[in-house]
Amino acid sequence: MVVFALLIINKAGGLVYNRTFAPGLQKLDSNDYLILAGTFHGIHAISRTISPAPRAPHPPGTRPPPTTGIETMDAGRFRLTCFQTPTGVKFLLFTSPEQPNAEAIIRRCYEMYGEMVMKNPFYSLEMPVRVEKFDRVLGGYLVRPG
Amino acid sequence: MSVYSFFIFDRHTECIYSRRWVDKHLNASNRPNSSALGHGDVPATAKKAMKDRDDVRSPALLPTNPPHDRSFPDSAANFIAIIVVQAKLIFGTLFSLRRMVRQLGGSEDQFLSYRTGEYKLHYFETPTQLKFVMLTDTRVGNMRTVLYQIWATLYVEYVVKSPLSPTEHPGGLGVANELFEGGLERFIESIFGVPQTTQ
Repeated sequence: MVVFALLIINKAGGLVYNRTFAPGLQKLDSNDYLILAGTFHGIHAISRTISPAPRAPHPPGTRPPPTTGIETMDAGRFRLTCFQTPTGVKFLLFTSPEQPNAEAIIRRCYEMYGEMVMKNPFYSLEMPVRVEKFDRVLGGYLVRPG
Repeated sequence: MSVYSFFIFDRHTECIYSRRWVDKHLNASNRPNSSALGHGDVPATAKKAMKDRDDVRSPALLPTNPPHDRSFPDSAANFIAIIVVQAKLIFGTLFSLRRMVRQLGGSEDQFLSYRTGEYKLHYFETPTQLKFVMLTDTRVGNMRTVLYQIWATLYVEYVVKSPLSPTEHPGGLGVANELFEGGLERFIESIFGVPQTTQ
């Protein structure tokens, strides 16, 4: 049970945070991570439009409930959990396939982001996250001791 | 548990077979109710013919669809066009995800499935790069073995071994034969219990 990496994608599809916590995934350079973030942003949008499920009934005159995009993706060696905040920021957590409670972990990361990044007066919106305290606390939470 | 649709893509990125099932909770009146679509699968050659035919039929279908209801297409022809577009979108999604998985997990890693709040997409790829895709609701577990079964016991037996079907299937030629379709129908029924109505 390992958390491999956390990516934060802003609402425009740009990668704003990228950190690896444990080895297990292939090493990619930062350019590849940027491409990956942009690609995933697109796939996420497409996965919302190809929903074959019947729409949930909603009162006439109101908007239908929004469809969610990809929430989890399974591959042979890892699992990707995606959490999209109401403002469109996406948190991507790469874990080992058997990792439980990935949703809870990702929520906790979101809370930390809210506390330490969004409340930081020196952070400019939509820009890469360079907040030392966020790095430290996140590392303390997700890096396994030993 | 219910199944929404099933697609086969060949190695030339073409959708060679598609089939959709109507969810039982859907009321039939909301759906374009065309007998031309009763076969489920629509090979590309037949699609054009059906499109032409449905263009003529569409005025009769129109009154049954409320014009403000944009979630359902106006006519069966439109509906087929939407299926074609959807197949392309699904393929594009799979292609990108597959590449992403290989990039991150190594070249032997493979993409298995993804889940959104509304549906789940299951994926299986054969060594010959045939891609089997199934869209189900989110409560369904791993369907990889089921897709493997469809390939091994239905596709190989009834499509590959058929003397009438060509090696490649441009436009879905030779895939949608009676035995394969019937076998698929029964197999899906045996897994999902209640008979699923074909759309």
